[in-house]
Amino acid sequence: MPAHLEITLKPDLFDAEGAAICRKANDYFGFDLESVRTVSILTIDIDLTPDQLESIRTEIFTNPVTQISSYKPLSIDFDSVIWVGYRPGVRDNPGSTAQEAVEDLFRIRLKPHEAIYTSKRYCLKGVNLSFHDADRIARELLANDIIQQWKVFSKEDWDPETGVGIIIPKVRLDHKPTVTVIPIDSDKTLMRLSKERGLALNPNDVPTIRAYFLREDVLAERRAVGLSDPTDVELEYISQARSDHCNHNTFKGLFLYRDLATGKTDTVDDLFATCIEAPTLAIQKKKPWVISVLWDNAGVGRLNEDNYYVITGETHNSPSNMEAYGGAITGIVGVYRDPMGTGKGSRLIMGMYGYCVGPRDYQGELKPHLHPKRLLDGVIEGVRDGGNKSGIPTPYGQVWFDEGYLGKCLVFVTAIGLMPAQIKGGPAEKKRSSPGNLIVMCGGRVGKDGIHGVTAASESFSADTPAGHVQIGDPYTQKKMHDFLLEARDHGLIAFITDNGGGGLSSSIGESARFSNGCMVELEKVPLKYEGLDQWEIWVSESQERMTVAVKPEHWAQFAALSKKHAVESTLIGRYTDSGKLHITYDGQTCAHVDIDFLTSQFPQWTFEAEWTPPEMRGLSEPDFVEPDNASNLLLDLLARPNICSKEWIIRQYDHEVQGTSVVKPLVGKDRDVNSDAVVSRPVLESLQGLAAAQAVLPTYSLIDTYHMVACSIDEGVRRVVAVGGDPEHIGGVDNFCCPYIQYDAIGNPDGKYKAAQLVRANWALRDVCTAYGIPLLSGKDSMYVDGYLKGRHNKTQKVSALPTLQFACTSVISDITRCVTMDCKFAGDLVYVLGETRNELGASEYYEHFGHVGLHVPELRPESAIKLYRALNRAIQEELVASCHGIYRGGLGVHLALVAMAGGLGIRVDLSKVPRVEAEQDHVILYSETPGRFIVTIDPKNRSSFEALFDGLPHACVGTVSGEADFEINGPEEKPVIRVPVSELKTAWKRPFGDLV
Amino acid sequence: MTPSDTNNMTVHVLVLTGYGLNCDVETAYAFELAGAVSTRVHINTLISGEASLKDYDILVFDGGFSWGDDHGAGVLEAVRLRSNIGKALIEFIENGKLILGICNGFQAMVNLGLLPGFDGDYNTRQVALTFNDCGNFRDDWVTLLGNPESPCVFTRGVSQIELPVRHGEGKFHASPEVIKRLIGNGQVVFQYATPEGVPAQGQFPFNPNGSVHDIAGICDSTGRIFGLMPHPEAFNHWTNHPDWTRVKESMKRQGQSILPELTAGVQLLKNGVDYIRQA
Repeated sequence: MPAHLEITLKPDLFDAEGAAICRKANDYFGFDLESVRTVSILTIDIDLTPDQLESIRTEIFTNPVTQISSYKPLSIDFDSVIWVGYRPGVRDNPGSTAQEAVEDLFRIRLKPHEAIYTSKRYCLKGVNLSFHDADRIARELLANDIIQQWKVFSKEDWDPETGVGIIIPKVRLDHKPTVTVIPIDSDKTLMRLSKERGLALNPNDVPTIRAYFLREDVLAERRAVGLSDPTDVELEYISQARSDHCNHNTFKGLFLYRDLATGKTDTVDDLFATCIEAPTLAIQKKKPWVISVLWDNAGVGRLNEDNYYVITGETHNSPSNMEAYGGAITGIVGVYRDPMGTGKGSRLIMGMYGYCVGPRDYQGELKPHLHPKRLLDGVIEGVRDGGNKSGIPTPYGQVWFDEGYLGKCLVFVTAIGLMPAQIKGGPAEKKRSSPGNLIVMCGGRVGKDGIHGVTAASESFSADTPAGHVQIGDPYTQKKMHDFLLEARDHGLIAFITDNGGGGLSSSIGESARFSNGCMVELEKVPLKYEGLDQWEIWVSESQERMTVAVKPEHWAQFAALSKKHAVESTLIGRYTDSGKLHITYDGQTCAHVDIDFLTSQFPQWTFEAEWTPPEMRGLSEPDFVEPDNASNLLLDLLARPNICSKEWIIRQYDHEVQGTSVVKPLVGKDRDVNSDAVVSRPVLESLQGLAAAQAVLPTYSLIDTYHMVACSIDEGVRRVVAVGGDPEHIGGVDNFCCPYIQYDAIGNPDGKYKAAQLVRANWALRDVCTAYGIPLLSGKDSMYVDGYLKGRHNKTQKVSALPTLQFACTSVISDITRCVTMDCKFAGDLVYVLGETRNELGASEYYEHFGHVGLHVPELRPESAIKLYRALNRAIQEELVASCHGIYRGGLGVHLALVAMAGGLGIRVDLSKVPRVEAEQDHVILYSETPGRFIVTIDPKNRSSFEALFDGLPHACVGTVSGEADFEINGPEEKPVIRVPVSELKTAWKRPFGDLV
Repeated sequence: MTPSDTNNMTVHVLVLTGYGLNCDVETAYAFELAGAVSTRVHINTLISGEASLKDYDILVFDGGFSWGDDHGAGVLEAVRLRSNIGKALIEFIENGKLILGICNGFQAMVNLGLLPGFDGDYNTRQVALTFNDCGNFRDDWVTLLGNPESPCVFTRGVSQIELPVRHGEGKFHASPEVIKRLIGNGQVVFQYATPEGVPAQGQFPFNPNGSVHDIAGICDSTGRIFGLMPHPEAFNHWTNHPDWTRVKESMKRQGQSILPELTAGVQLLKNGVDYIRQA
């Protein structure tokens, strides 16, 4: 009989978790809850004596100072009780650690059927709370249907003797693993079976697949191993590898581009090859610091002679949209495996995040799967737990609110690692599997979780998207594996390593076997969470926290011993060969036998029609707009806009100090509360070398032209790292595209051709700007299906597509961190400079958006002149002539001058007529135009001449001073006051929207 | 002349690793800056006997998320250590050695009962570190007031310092009698304070977690066993401090530059190292 242990805080102690639930329930649903007390429940399905049960209760699971506990339901006052537990098969992290502790205490090993399951009971007080209200709190706040189950009890339902009862969420699959053969008598049959089995095969690929399996030589080889028609294992393997997620078919597609205004046509064969690969390889030839790009899990740049940094970015949009917390934690923990699987492995040193969601206070008619407020909370918490529990600082990130993300949110996660240049005298960034190497799977076990995640990510969100692909990342298990693998690496025990992410073993072994040209896998050896998985499920499961490693046979004993020391499971599941075949067996029976090079050959290229309708043809024009009178209030309103205002509450939830490397923090200034342009870390503690990092998104510009959206996003990322002292000659980029579906369909996607043209133009900008700036794309990712089908008014389903969005992450190396600068103005009397020209470019600006306009004059980058300015600025910073430096980003000069003043806690007085500009005369144009390429710099007056000398011939001007006054003052020509507001009031406005959140 | 100049004995520091601990690298580094030789040792290496506490002078329970913080921060680390090397830990204390617990390590120490260690009892849990009142994990720099009456060997001469906190479960809690006893014995080593240097009196964010009596760190009655929530090892270089660019600019204008001397965080560790040297 399983035991049921309830644990809760002593009644006189404040229940912070309960209070947070109470606050959210009242905030999200307008309820009138008075209090919530939380009870942790352990359901102990282990054969233990009463004495043993009592000893784990007192010695492990109850803190005598703060908690009470009982094997009978605790008596706690309530009006409603909600019980929430995991569904069978969902990862129960605290359940596993509880088992570990029990094993430790009694020095026993649990039997396979024994386990501990955790769940929670919430005791709600609130006189007006109906059963229905409680059920809503359970369904929409406490539990997620996909991974959890719940029960609601009213006072009448509650039996104080049995409480919530005993529920054992054990997976029971009375199923014998079976390989199914898929008939391929016609394209139609295969396509039908693909649909039925959720294989998501592309119809264009089907003839190629059939032709292969019908080839005489292939048939003969297959007969020799007992196979005929393809098995499900084989088709799953092909489907995974051919998915857009893994194979980037869209980016590698053929685009027939036509400009509808000029009639000019262009055939673009492979965006990846022409806009990403070719420019990056050309830059790599010129820049020796670019160590390894475009082939591995992450790109590698040189930090110094002895150390390389490693960077990559990912999105985890679809899962986060379904289950915000689980999707986000799996996203961040998952992206951390990429640097771990780059070269022979790196240590993680930094994470970054980017969230694009619907407005937090959305009250419109569309009904997204999760309301943006709840979705954002869940995403923030997921990245918090994933990052913090991994011991990796998460110092930088940004949030963007737009209704276009109601259909599908975007969750960007970026990971940076560090590797020694050499391991045991060999290059650390190189790896290969060789015939005879052992295939070892390390980390977690395999379950049904995450099956078909890759193919689901390659589809738009709809009501019947399979929910099974959502999982909960486990940073604890992964941290142990991380520490283990680094030690194994340093002992020279790793020949090849890659992570098991999308596609699971199918991807990791499929890709690593290309080096040796073959593999032999014994699937029955893969350790499972529970019995009953079919062979194909074991092969493609995306169960998390796993790496695939190639180990030389002579290293296996040492590798296994280290694994044991770190309490990490490592299992030998096969060998690499040079047979040219991916060969899989289960209990000696062959279930897959496919040519390794089959996937790299003969598949038809995806083709897209792309039609560009220029903004004028779409009816965009500059609004007829009179400059508003009350410029001071207008600035205050702009500062309080969601995409401008303070989001300190998110930043403070993330550990940005762990590893002791923090140099420039996410929040800076006198009161340490204004966003830094970028963060700087000192990854090698013994060195003064720094790594600067930042990200940028500007999706609104896509309303006018994705070319400029991309150009300006890259420029913002570059300026952010340059502003803190980054070297413009060493900038690494990570492009992360999220776009709606671009294949034209008269009914399903009538503007598909336009969307395809947007993607082409975005990539052209990527190519042009990266080439002009000399930025290699160290890594990148595309996520092509940012659409959702939402119910709206009258329950009508409506398609919501996001604006094409690029998140651009930049890294830069800083040779001496003690020369870094922050953006806060520092002394009264300092001179305020604006660098770079301001143009009449209010199109798609925050200012126009505030008034409901789009406009036409989108900000345009002039990269050739901009880079000269950045070089000069870098010299000024290196020569320590700069007291503060801040880029001018979204919101323009007005907003960013205000931020400089707020951070310094000092007034600023500026004369607009002195701002360097081209065809920008009106005050509001100068103040709010978002022309890229500009900075605000403050300097000690005694540095004036040496500072200005550096900018000879470049657009710059002293526009005012840091005043000793309380006021922020902007004057027009002849000192005509335009804006006059106390700096403290600016900050109050800027903090108003989210200032109360913790 | 400082004692360390007269006595150049090597001080050996053991920094725990494994099972989700994550401040081991910078803690080991900061102790090296403090003049010690530090070794990161996996918890299982200590349990297996491959490494022995006997070879070390200072044991550090460093920060992290041991066992994912499941079932209470530091709870499962305490269970594992008590079940396996409980005796050796007590012997280590009896031999006059030092133990420092930082953040998750402090949590593990109170769950082991190493703190508060009233009357030489290093087995009984009498204080707890529980969920922050603010309901969330929080990263911020805090001001700490040192207690001149405390016997703590790490904080000798420290009246006020700034260090980062990063935790979700740092609210110090104990019965009023225990709190009274801690105060009376001078075992309250650090209190959260306002930037002006007066106790925060519970005021957020100066007291970031709602700790009773603003308690940020305590020691045992010998002063050799010390635990605190803030992270001295994360202030290992002057550029870790949130105001460094402001301070640097200010000094530059006075014709000075910041001297790269030991930070307040490292000084704390060095006090421990020096204590061993003198002992």
